[in-house]
Amino acid sequence: MHCGLNTIKNYYLRAILAIVLAFVVKTNANAQNPDNRKDSVKQMNEVMVTYKRPVKTIATSQTLSGADLQALSTTSVADALKYFSGVQIKDYGGLGGLKTVNVRSLGAQHVGVYVDGIRITNAQNGTVDLGKFSLSSMESVSLYNANKLDYCQSASEYASGATIYLQTRRPTRDSLAVQLRNASFSTWMTKLNGQFDWRGWQGFIDGEYCTSRGDYPFRYHSEYEDTVGRRANSDIQYGRIEAALFKGGFSSHIYYYDSDRGCPGGIVRRLSDKYTNVGREWDRDFFVQASYQGRFYKKLLFKTNTKYTNEYLRYCTDYPENQNTARVDNHYRQQDIYGAICVAYMPWSWLSVSTSYDIRYSILRADLKRFDDVKRVDQKQVLAAQMNHKGIQAAASLLHQRYNDFTFAHVGAADPLDRWTPAVSLAYTLYNITLRGWYKEIFRAPTLNDLYYTQVGNRNLKPEYTKQWNLGVEYHLDNSKFKIQNSKLALDIQCDVYLNKIENRIVCLPLKGTYTWSMMNYGYTFCRGLNATVKGHYTRGPWSASLLTTLTWQRDLDRTNPEDEDMYDKPICYSPTLSTGITAIIGWRALQFTTSYLYVGERMWSKADPEDILEPYHNVDMKLSYTHPVGKTSLGLCLEVCDVLDIQYEHIPRYPMPGRNYKLTLSFGI
Amino acid sequence: MKHVTLILSWFIAVSILAQERIILLNEGLWQADNGRMTYFEGGAIVSNQWFRDKNGFKLGDTPNDIIQVNENLIAIAINWSNVVQFIRPDGKAVAATEDVPNNRKLCTDGKYVYVTSYGHECETINGTQFFEKGFVAKIDISNFKVIATCEVGYEPEGIALYDGYLFVANTGGYAFEENHEYETTVSIMNSETMKVENTIDVEQINLYGKLSQSGQYLCINSPGDYYGIPAACIIFDCEKALQGDDDCFVKLDYASTYSCTAQDGRFMAIGSRFSYITNEYEFNYVTIDPKEVMVSLGGSGIEEQFPGTVLDDIKNMMMPYGLYVNPYSGYIYATDAGSFEGAGYLYQWSPEGKFIGKHKVYINPAHFLALPPEGYWDGINPSLPSSPRGEKNPTYDMMGRKTDSSFKTQNSKLIIVDGKKILYNK
Repeated sequence: MHCGLNTIKNYYLRAILAIVLAFVVKTNANAQNPDNRKDSVKQMNEVMVTYKRPVKTIATSQTLSGADLQALSTTSVADALKYFSGVQIKDYGGLGGLKTVNVRSLGAQHVGVYVDGIRITNAQNGTVDLGKFSLSSMESVSLYNANKLDYCQSASEYASGATIYLQTRRPTRDSLAVQLRNASFSTWMTKLNGQFDWRGWQGFIDGEYCTSRGDYPFRYHSEYEDTVGRRANSDIQYGRIEAALFKGGFSSHIYYYDSDRGCPGGIVRRLSDKYTNVGREWDRDFFVQASYQGRFYKKLLFKTNTKYTNEYLRYCTDYPENQNTARVDNHYRQQDIYGAICVAYMPWSWLSVSTSYDIRYSILRADLKRFDDVKRVDQKQVLAAQMNHKGIQAAASLLHQRYNDFTFAHVGAADPLDRWTPAVSLAYTLYNITLRGWYKEIFRAPTLNDLYYTQVGNRNLKPEYTKQWNLGVEYHLDNSKFKIQNSKLALDIQCDVYLNKIENRIVCLPLKGTYTWSMMNYGYTFCRGLNATVKGHYTRGPWSASLLTTLTWQRDLDRTNPEDEDMYDKPICYSPTLSTGITAIIGWRALQFTTSYLYVGERMWSKADPEDILEPYHNVDMKLSYTHPVGKTSLGLCLEVCDVLDIQYEHIPRYPMPGRNYKLTLSFGI
Repeated sequence: MKHVTLILSWFIAVSILAQERIILLNEGLWQADNGRMTYFEGGAIVSNQWFRDKNGFKLGDTPNDIIQVNENLIAIAINWSNVVQFIRPDGKAVAATEDVPNNRKLCTDGKYVYVTSYGHECETINGTQFFEKGFVAKIDISNFKVIATCEVGYEPEGIALYDGYLFVANTGGYAFEENHEYETTVSIMNSETMKVENTIDVEQINLYGKLSQSGQYLCINSPGDYYGIPAACIIFDCEKALQGDDDCFVKLDYASTYSCTAQDGRFMAIGSRFSYITNEYEFNYVTIDPKEVMVSLGGSGIEEQFPGTVLDDIKNMMMPYGLYVNPYSGYIYATDAGSFEGAGYLYQWSPEGKFIGKHKVYINPAHFLALPPEGYWDGINPSLPSSPRGEKNPTYDMMGRKTDSSFKTQNSKLIIVDGKKILYNK
């Protein structure tokens, strides 16, 4: 329904939204119960603030937005990211498995994920399970290698090796949509989305419930094995509800996610299915965030962010089918309060200087033995300057981070961590071609698990450092430059070469002569690579076509121990040398067909034997959707076939991914 | 003449080397289903996937122990696969059972295989049995079924057989996450009745890891709790324990993480004492004479030395992961797990400690079994003293079963006396 909807209908819609919102608020009130997570984010939507955006091409970035994003065969943010160059997905398979991304081999913990500019954090393990975020409320998903460069950014936006920005959609009209999906492996999903735009206020509510048995068949077939089975303990039930409210420079977001899932293990030799190493996990994540951005005296930009997060995790292995591990039933509760303030000053239109101060207070509680509450205060300050003059763009920033931990845990708190790290970028644009180069140094602080987890943690860990160098070129052709009759063409071509060094990798290793494992700083990685993307859009009359292609070539070398001739200067595990993706989207009126192809090259998973490799794989997904208007409402039907070729690949050895599967979605909107 | 001696000595060396037949279990990576068996013979690796070569299927996930049951049978505990696998000495699989989940360590009397388990249930010929703590299962090798079980302490690990009694070291190793404390006991059970007859408190927690046996003596490792309680090693006298003597153990302030029994009956051990509080290691390499340690209460009988260059070579390893002496030849072996992502290495030394070679094996090489030199099976436990419990020259049949003396009066038979095969004619 468009703005033409009559007022009465509008009132109905708002009433429904108000009820749902009230429910959310109530849930939130119940969230005083520590089992819930809460988190408040204040966020500002830059779309509403009208100032000249810096030229984007200075940063190496990739974005999927709007129609392209919705046209991809995706269920979560993790699925969308696989279409980006330089991204490796770590996926334990199935719907419920943990999905994390690794950018340019820096490691998942160097990837910062931001919702509307505010970072999603997990002080406990430092990774974000991207399977928990839906695309239905997102306007765009962007990946920035190093920093996104805006005039006014909070210090934490400078603090990760790669950044993923999830931008929520600001509604431009009132609407209500429901969706029902049935998919392979007994999967049912229902979704509800309501949006409004009223007197400068915009908002939405998005809810989803999904249940899946996830019992997909798999087969391992080789000269010494023929194992056929169905994935066990791979089910998931989850509910997610989120709402956002915007007005001008103010934006806010509230989010709650609740899941119950099985954690399947690797497929190993067993004589029967009698024992399955059952572990189950329950998550309750809550956050609320708000942000405000404003402009004063024309030359001063001001932004403030706040967020409260409450995360609960329960992990239980006390089941008769599990005879292989300790019987545990552990509960982890983590709370996080965050605040940031940033000020940017623009003496001339081509120069900006900015500074920001961020503070985050985290507390982790767990009923582990030999564990006590851990509190962490994480403060960051940044000084940054940017210029854009006559085609020359430059940006420099200096980030200061300080971490202080407090705990009564037996091992004692780690020493405070205090470091300065720089980043510089330089670009020159001539006509439509930009040449760019940047350097960034950043570290990741050891997480609370790394430092304090019972019988693993090591409070003497040093931070894991990364240094990145990048040289790139980008060509951009605009719609306006190419117009013949009714057709429009837009083209964007990027190519970047890069070099990364990672020092003091934080890894869990068995200890010499003790039978026990501990977190340690061990490892030095040297990585060279090339990322290239070509994006084109063409429209003519009722026809539209998009082509997205990516290519990643990468060589990661282990430079840890020069005396270890089996490992030194050899490629590191799990890193493919070559991967490519091609996605084509063709639309004709309300009919749309998408096909995407991904190739990931051979990866080693151990260096012990040349046969310890993950086979290269080709993955083809197809999606056909049609929307039919019925009066003022619309009816949609969408069929997706994933892994059309039914190639059963793996991201982790012995964790098979589902083969060919289908999704049928029915949607109704007003 | 000099040349003749040289050639002769070379021949002797080759013939001894040719008798070296070692099966080595590579644990692989957890949940990657890549446990592998290395077969080493005559100074060279025959295969690093020997089990797969011989059987056409994989061994499983995390093999944890290997023993020889009798001349024709070897048992392997494959922990994460929940499988106790039986093979012939030529590598051919003969049977496997998953009746003992979370199996840990093995011992045998030639007729039965005794398995410790951290699990809480066991499938037996009398139906499924359930346990609150851990248990020991008795597998009959005539049908590979569990015929009896016995609950012991939490997470029982090492197991040894001495004079008809099983000695089980309890760890309580899940204490850092489960609701019980670490165990400090050795359970003594009658292998025939499978009943615990005595439990000895050795006053040291977490009796975890490899247990080595030298006749009546055991060398039991304790890593401590990795916090305030340091690692130690217990020298345990089975004979004294059976006699009811309370002073049947001595605690030494060394870790024996990787231990083995040398040909002279002494224990050799590599260990390190680690604490999560300081995050510091304290390494030790010791040779222990158990008899002297028992007499002197730890005052003497300990040497911080290995033969020849063994100690120096081990100190140069990235990550020592196993130590073994071939009971038939005295050749010394150790493994280096390296960086855990890549292949480990097998090192070999002569009995005098002269370095012979280094061989690439697979991930986490840990558990050894020496096969008897061709045609020479000298009993179930070569390091067993010849006269335990005052009995003169006990005899065994070819299955390794102890036979009473009346056996000797039967018809002519092949029997084992004093670890030697004898054709006994009436």
